Amino acid sequence: MPQAVVSARALSKRFAAKDVLHEISVDVEAGDIVGVLGKNGAGKTTLLELLLGFSIPTSGSAEIFGEPSADLSAAAKKRIAFVPQQDELIDLLTGAQQLSLTAAFYEHWDRALIERLSAAWEIPLGRRIQTLSVGERQKLSLLLALGAHPELLVLDEPVASLDPIARRQFITEIVARARGTQRTVLFSSHIVSDLERAANKVWIIKDGRLAWAGDLDALKESVVRLHIHGRRALPGDLRVPDALASRVEGSRATVAAAHWTSERAAAVAARLDADVEVESLALEDIFLELHR
Amino acid sequence: MFILNPQSGTPIYRQLLEQVRRLVASGRLAPGDELPSVRELAVEHAVNPMTISKAYALLEAEGLLERNRGKPMTVAAQPRSHAALRERLRRLDREAEQLVLAAKQLELAKSDVLDLIDKKWGDEHAASGRQRTGAQ
Repeated sequence: MPQAVVSARALSKRFAAKDVLHEISVDVEAGDIVGVLGKNGAGKTTLLELLLGFSIPTSGSAEIFGEPSADLSAAAKKRIAFVPQQDELIDLLTGAQQLSLTAAFYEHWDRALIERLSAAWEIPLGRRIQTLSVGERQKLSLLLALGAHPELLVLDEPVASLDPIARRQFITEIVARARGTQRTVLFSSHIVSDLERAANKVWIIKDGRLAWAGDLDALKESVVRLHIHGRRALPGDLRVPDALASRVEGSRATVAAAHWTSERAAAVAARLDADVEVESLALEDIFLELHR
Repeated sequence: MFILNPQSGTPIYRQLLEQVRRLVASGRLAPGDELPSVRELAVEHAVNPMTISKAYALLEAEGLLERNRGKPMTVAAQPRSHAALRERLRRLDREAEQLVLAAKQLELAKSDVLDLIDKKWGDEHAASGRQRTGAQ
């Protein structure tokens, strides 16, 4: 099995006796584009910071490229780029100055990419950073991260301040830079539709725990909404396996369920003497059903 | 060439599978036709390349597509077997159902509807032949 680019084992973090993250075990494989989804305060930022070694876990361990996250070698750090939610740009510099400052840290800085993207994304590189809009600052931060072609790109809410056009340009760039197993991305986002495009894997964090970690395609095939039309009044407890949420009204019911298979549909239909219609769900609906 | 909707409950690779199967069954994709590369499709639709390559790999395993070293994937030669015929017919199922339903609502005779299909098909001879049979 290939070595995981990022891996966490039973990673927990407590702040003031509150479990922010509880025993998270996950792997990011080379070439994965992983989207991290969760409500506000679910622990997404904390998880990214623990994985990157910016913060020390209460218990458990995290590794990047096989090295402990809290003690990464300089060589490993050069293979990683991180864009935090709050940018770390230097206000008094111009965009161009900031770019050359960052470029100096990296051996392989892609000037052509920077020129192409700063034009396409309309970033005014000649202006002082303190005069840039929030969206322009975010674009500049993303540019700084992409310029070094990092093997591991970690982004915390990378598109929160971008308009739909800029968001699409960014997603296209993330997709276009994928090269087999060489470019791994881990990003958190509230914008489910972006995540749905770019990610092949999804982590859904709920109350500090992983509600799902795996293939986006498999998640969509696993979680469904059942529309049950009974021939008589349905029981209050439908006993649908792996039900997430259900609503029964007389002879009709809707139930969201995980780990769905067609055999299960047949079994439920037979047991309840009902017609069962299976609705597949988009990621946003799956997310909502997981939070009912 | 394809309509891919990431905000659908159907995974992108399944959408692509279905569309390629349909295009091949209908002949709109013919043996030897080239498909866009994984990267081209991923960038054009701004979707993850892995879901595209998964669809291509499954279509290759089905024998619908052929992988060519260093070149785009192409549509493989299709055996015109009974199974393929059944499959093509199956794709008309819903339209046929709708046509029959509409015909019954209009209280039309089956022979009149079949004549109409013959005319639409450009096969007047078969239509008049059936009329004679019907008149006997």
